Amino acid sequence: MNTQRIGAIFEKDLKEFRKNMMLLMMPVIPIFLAIMYSRMGEGELPVFLLYLIVGATYSAVTTSGMMTMMAEENEKKTLRGLIQSPASLADILIGKSLVVGLFTFISLVISLAILGNDEFLAFQPIVGLILLFLFFLLLGIGIGLFTKSVANTSAYIMPVMFLFGFTPMIEFLNLGEDSIFIKIADYFPIMQLIDMHETNSWTAIGIVTIWVIAAAIFTFICLKKVSTDN
Amino acid sequence: MSDYTLNYEAAKDEKLPSVSLNLNESTATAIYSDTDLQAELIEAILREGKMSVFDRKEGLYDRLTVADNAKFFHKWFGCSFPFAEILVMFGLQTCADKPLSKCTPSELARVYYAKYFMMDHYPVVFHEPIHGVDLHTTNTFMNMLQKLKENKTPVLILVSNLEHALLLSDLTYKLKENGLQEIEVAQEELSERTSEAEQISTTSLTTSKLYKVPAKVEDKIILFDPTEIDYIESQDGKAQIVVNYESFALDSTLTEIEKKIEPYGFYRCHRSYIVNLQKVREIITWSKNTYSLRINNKPKSTIPLSRTKIQHIQDTFNLK
Repeated sequence: MNTQRIGAIFEKDLKEFRKNMMLLMMPVIPIFLAIMYSRMGEGELPVFLLYLIVGATYSAVTTSGMMTMMAEENEKKTLRGLIQSPASLADILIGKSLVVGLFTFISLVISLAILGNDEFLAFQPIVGLILLFLFFLLLGIGIGLFTKSVANTSAYIMPVMFLFGFTPMIEFLNLGEDSIFIKIADYFPIMQLIDMHETNSWTAIGIVTIWVIAAAIFTFICLKKVSTDN
Repeated sequence: MSDYTLNYEAAKDEKLPSVSLNLNESTATAIYSDTDLQAELIEAILREGKMSVFDRKEGLYDRLTVADNAKFFHKWFGCSFPFAEILVMFGLQTCADKPLSKCTPSELARVYYAKYFMMDHYPVVFHEPIHGVDLHTTNTFMNMLQKLKENKTPVLILVSNLEHALLLSDLTYKLKENGLQEIEVAQEELSERTSEAEQISTTSLTTSKLYKVPAKVEDKIILFDPTEIDYIESQDGKAQIVVNYESFALDSTLTEIEKKIEPYGFYRCHRSYIVNLQKVREIITWSKNTYSLRINNKPKSTIPLSRTKIQHIQDTFNLK
């Protein structure tokens, strides 16, 4: 790890993020959703809607942002000559993660503020949100390492968005309580956090941690594969 | 640091011959070859993995300005030169706030040079470094070569254009399928031979009133009027007439043709070149006492002018 290099890539990507319309639109989506939901319902919003916004933020800003940035570097071959060792690749990933993290944070805080919900200002939900952020970030890094073009990202982001970002939507599919899909989906990270929100159970946090570890292993395998390919 | 040796064995199914070359740390070496052999040589260099080839093919950050790009590379590679000095050195201060997507190819080339310079590799290999760039940028590149020499970094330049090779390097080799040959540019020998040639040309002046230059193309012989020729260059000991984008092989050597063609306003401006003085548009003075002549033809060719010949050119055109 080299802080000077991380600083360099952070500064550069921050400037690029501000000039890239595709990336810049992403943090707007959850804010827009939040405005819609806050006008739609009267009184308290259901918890699952809050987590839908969280899922949208993480999948649209964190995962997609990370993937788009990596895809752009891969597509234009801008990293050629910059990466001389696995350490410098790590520097690049950390620098980019910081940029993505910053924009995710801004977008999430604004959306939740619009919804006017302060239930998240407790220790347990914040731990949950941080773990969830790590999960989506690691997923974005892992897939991003392999996306060769920006056009590919929209294809790769879809499964991530629908499976992990919009999991609460599965209830609208009217599959019935006993459906196997619902039972599986109940173990997905966002569903676990909704569960945690209602029951204050720490087992949900445990299950989300397992998801994060799984994502970390996935990212690690991708990293190994990319560095042996070169 | 000492000299760097390049060594490649010929592989069976490839055209590339065995190459063994010593890269001196204080001279720029150029290898001039056709594009096929050049591609194979680059492949061999990359396969070995010790050197990277700078070919300006990788991307830069188009959305960011010149200064932002340079600043990023400056920080990333931990360059020891002050940032402002790098900008001035590569002539980037005037376009510093322009996004790369709006820059001209020459400005982009200078950003690439700055990047390669800050990467601080040892040794450095450039592939067609001044192809398609303007004079100012060529000069910038030559200044960078000078800096690299002062830093004792061996430089290898791969080009498919003999003029570029002679302009940029101190030592030029020609790579052919049978191996590597040095192209000599010994100055003493040159002046000796031309003075000898001058004597002969005066005697043959009277007989060459109706002189046309015959060039053989397949089974035809084309007769060139000396005035339509842009310049004549030497390729493997044989002279070649260049007219705009085309070149035609002659059967004689450069020295032979020089004698006959001199009365028509031609001048041996370099060991490997005879130029039609009527067609010279510009005399370019590079830094470090190197000169080129720019020809007034369609491709705007630049051909090298030897240091020893500048005086004669200046006298001819009454320049002082």
